[in-house]
Amino acid sequence: MGGIFIKMKCGLEIHVQLETDSKLFCDCRTNYQDAPANSNICFVCLNQPGAKPYPPNEHAMNGAIKIALMLGCKIAEDETYFLRKHYDYPDLPSGYQRTSIPIGYEGNLNDVSIREVHIEEDPGQYKPDLGVVDFNRSGIPLIEIVTEPDMRSPEEARNFLRELIRVLEYSGSARGEGTMRADVNISLEGGKRAEIKNINSIKGAYKALKYEMVRQKNLIRRGVEIKQETRAFLESQMITVPMRLKEEADDYRYIPDPDLPPMLAEYEQIEVIREKMPEPPHIKTERFIQEYGIQKEYAKVMTSELALADAFEEIVKHVEPSFAAIWMRDELKRVLNYNKMSFDESGIKPADIVELLDLINDKKVTPKAAKKIIEKMPKNDASPLKIAEDMGLIGVSDEESVLKAVNQAIDENPQAVSDYHEGKKGAMNFLIGQVMRLTRGKADPGETSRFLKEALAK
Amino acid sequence: MNLLDKSRSIKNHDITASDNLESYLKTIKKKNPKINAFLEIKEDEAAQKAEKVDARIKKGEKVGKLAGLTIGIKSNINIEDFIISAASKTLENYVGSYNATVIKRIEAEDGIILGTTNMDEFAAGSSTETSYFGPADNPAAPGRIPGGSSGGSAAVIAAEMCDLSLGSDTGGSIRNPASHCGVMGFKSTYGVVSRQGLLDLAMSLEQIGPFARDAGGIALMLDSIAGYDPMECTTIKEIPNFHEITQNSQDVMKGMKLGVVKEFFDVSDNRIVNIIEESIDKMTDMGAEVVELNFKHLDLCIPTYYLINYVEFFSATRKYDGRKYGYRIEEVCGEEVLRRIHIGSYISQKEYSGKYYKKALQARSLIRREITGLLDGVDALISPTVPKLPHKLGESLNTMDMYAYDVLTVIANLAGIPAGSMKAGEVNGIPVGLQIQGKPLDDAKIMGMMAGLEEIQ
Repeated sequence: MGGIFIKMKCGLEIHVQLETDSKLFCDCRTNYQDAPANSNICFVCLNQPGAKPYPPNEHAMNGAIKIALMLGCKIAEDETYFLRKHYDYPDLPSGYQRTSIPIGYEGNLNDVSIREVHIEEDPGQYKPDLGVVDFNRSGIPLIEIVTEPDMRSPEEARNFLRELIRVLEYSGSARGEGTMRADVNISLEGGKRAEIKNINSIKGAYKALKYEMVRQKNLIRRGVEIKQETRAFLESQMITVPMRLKEEADDYRYIPDPDLPPMLAEYEQIEVIREKMPEPPHIKTERFIQEYGIQKEYAKVMTSELALADAFEEIVKHVEPSFAAIWMRDELKRVLNYNKMSFDESGIKPADIVELLDLINDKKVTPKAAKKIIEKMPKNDASPLKIAEDMGLIGVSDEESVLKAVNQAIDENPQAVSDYHEGKKGAMNFLIGQVMRLTRGKADPGETSRFLKEALAK
Repeated sequence: MNLLDKSRSIKNHDITASDNLESYLKTIKKKNPKINAFLEIKEDEAAQKAEKVDARIKKGEKVGKLAGLTIGIKSNINIEDFIISAASKTLENYVGSYNATVIKRIEAEDGIILGTTNMDEFAAGSSTETSYFGPADNPAAPGRIPGGSSGGSAAVIAAEMCDLSLGSDTGGSIRNPASHCGVMGFKSTYGVVSRQGLLDLAMSLEQIGPFARDAGGIALMLDSIAGYDPMECTTIKEIPNFHEITQNSQDVMKGMKLGVVKEFFDVSDNRIVNIIEESIDKMTDMGAEVVELNFKHLDLCIPTYYLINYVEFFSATRKYDGRKYGYRIEEVCGEEVLRRIHIGSYISQKEYSGKYYKKALQARSLIRREITGLLDGVDALISPTVPKLPHKLGESLNTMDMYAYDVLTVIANLAGIPAGSMKAGEVNGIPVGLQIQGKPLDDAKIMGMMAGLEEIQ
């Protein structure tokens, strides 16, 4: 990077579809990907001559309020209304997009300030290569979240986006990263702001920022002034290119939509949503640290998925929290990641985890055996005990056979023994491993370590 | 025979719906080629509907309020399978893909939709001369404009080519041609009639409304089409009761306070003023009381109205981008439509929004406050509908002279209040209209006054 250190600032505008059955201003279905092209359409979402919007979809409006609340936003107390944002493009059947004024504002997520949250309608899908437009998507509600330029690196932006997607997932009112479209603003110290459009994933946002940082730093180093411009991200090449002037919005000629009277969110309605809304993940993380005394890294993993967080809270009613957290973070997540599934998808129930951890605590299986059991738990109706029995993993070795194995390990590995006496760190672990092998994993690692130390001290 | 009597005769099978239709079709064939008021007629479909209505009446089945009555619809209101062109080349190939709410309601009341009527292109005019299909003539004053923009809908009533018609009124587009053609026209309180399916001129100003030859016809049509529409957000739940308002019209003027605004008369042709004053005298004879009033901001009304109209119309026409309906509007439209689009685009630019559009909205509030203030102390305001007589077809007017036709009608649209126009007399055979404006939701009261005045004429 040329060895010069330049500060960067980055702000995001993120659009994600809201999860509703029907569109924002008509009764058409929202399953646009499953439906044949141009089958989920009517005169309203096609904006045929004379068509007026139906009243805004209440689920969409309430979902937007819920998400704004979960992002710590204040909710607009005055009337909110929809604006018409005019631009000329084949995907826009009316020549304008309806976009609300902010529903929430001044929120915060992970030290990034949220400037505003508002609602919009999705345009259709234009396929320039085929010259066709599919209007199934036209009129699907979108939520747009605008941050302040508070992120200082591509990594911070990526972390923020991951956290944001987690909040949206928790809300149950938004669709996931798959429907995300983001615009990214980036400016380097001493340069003007560039806006990058066409970003469709967290990875894309990260790559676009990385690319743009290098590009702008090189320009600055060569003494070239960075001009304010709009650039497009080309996902296939992971680069940004200047947008053609035509694509840059000059003036949207915003006017309040005369067909949609102003709305007032009722205080009671907001309070009902506030009471019913799920605890946002970043707040849940803090609570887990406080309430259960687990480390931050563990708390973050526990709250990475709402189903997992709920399971954790159920499990710790029966098991010591930090013990549960260690097992869930290290072993359960390992198995889930390996199988590429969420906790929810795995079909593992909190009671299964409790049973497994009880088996360890009651010394019915060794920790090592437990690791083998947990690998068999996803999408399995059999209980951990049944799995253990089927795999012959029940029982921790008796003291005598462990002692015998300890002595055998010492006898067979003189080099490890002398390494141990010279203070080499790996030697003890090696010897423990040998004992485990000899007892077929049934020895308790703590006990083995104690026996080995005693035997070696002789 | 007045319309309510005719409606009863059809229901009693004294007249058949088919005969009623047949006689109108004859008139249309004779008169329409010269008047050019109907643009498209569906004779066969109308005949089938009339036969069905007759069959049901014969069997003693209950039929709707509009049973067997023939109706013309302004060609900016969606009717399935009719060409809904708004009298523009832009939409010469657009076939209505759905029924507007008012059309559904007319059909539910067994009204027979006969055809679509001529108008100013996209309703942007006051003379029907800007129609892509050529101007319409004024049946009451041949050789003169019928007014506009709903000139065709007024003309089909004046020429007795159908029983009732619908127009749309954005700044007087129902009342103005009603006045010039000597018929009745009514614009309701904003939100009383659903706009779902009405092609937009200026969404915050306009209402669909009826034309008829008598007050009973207006009341019957309003009773059929008015009402909350869950599919149109600007409709309101409180609906004036139009039913049987023409029954007790004898004493309606007794004790009524009629507001007479000096400035409305100052801007009007003296010959028109004289006729309106005669009507006011008749009303005082019937027991009404005149209250003289002043309106300070009359000079603001036309600029305010047009600025809002331009901006909303610019927005509304963005869908005519040439991709879906054949032509890009700017490439095929007439001069007046193009003027409105260009000015609307210009003044809605970000850098000018504070200068023009926001100021226009502020002026609108001022006008609304002033007019509702005046209405506070009276039952209704009486004035000419249009300050001047219709010009001769072919005579060319500059833009400001054309806009001057609208000065007394735009106030009701800016303020969202109800207003009706009815014939008060004639100047050299040219009809002169009287306008009654009332408080929001006083639609039925105004209708009652129109019925009362009609009886003594």
